Amino acid sequence: MSPFLHLVSIACLAALFAGGALCIHRVAIGPSAADRAVALDTLTMVFIGVICILSVLWSSALYFDAVWILTLVGYLGSLAVARYLEKGRLF
Amino acid sequence: MPGPLELLTAATMLIGTFLTVVACVGLLRFPDVYCRMHAAGKAGTLGVSFMILATMIAFAPHESWVPVRGALAIFFQFLTTPAATHILARASYVSDYRLDERTAVDDLKAFLPSRPHETYGRE
Repeated sequence: MSPFLHLVSIACLAALFAGGALCIHRVAIGPSAADRAVALDTLTMVFIGVICILSVLWSSALYFDAVWILTLVGYLGSLAVARYLEKGRLF
Repeated sequence: MPGPLELLTAATMLIGTFLTVVACVGLLRFPDVYCRMHAAGKAGTLGVSFMILATMIAFAPHESWVPVRGALAIFFQFLTTPAATHILARASYVSDYRLDERTAVDDLKAFLPSRPHETYGRE
């Protein structure tokens, strides 16, 4: 791995951590439950990006399975919140 | 001097990070929950896809199974995230979350009556 890609990866990680902090701030102050669900969904996307960059940074493709699983199950949280908001119960 | 593959990886990684951070900033700055869903659902999906694309490009010469699973991950991301955002927007409209007062057009009002008597999960 060249120093160039290393530097770009570190910069992207720093930017993603800043974005994750913004998401956590929205989770904390969000006026409604739907705001918090959207913020947590976006936080899952930030996590997926962090895992991708870390697998490139550490040259280990094993972490990529976590990305695959997170894209499959990441939407279930906001789906559950939506069901709860619309019907008042989950099932 | 980095090779063309590393340059491509860095470019897609930067684009994906930019889109994800834009989604986070929009989540913080937009006025009501529907605008926030707009920011998170569009920019977030594309940002994650570019990030997975960067990993696929980086691992393509060594491990050939990564691009296959990466393509599947991008497919599932495009399948699930817009649907979840749509369902959440519909649920919050039905359970009577107020639109921002600067909203000019409310086309959904004629089709989807909101039910203000239900107060589950609200402040």
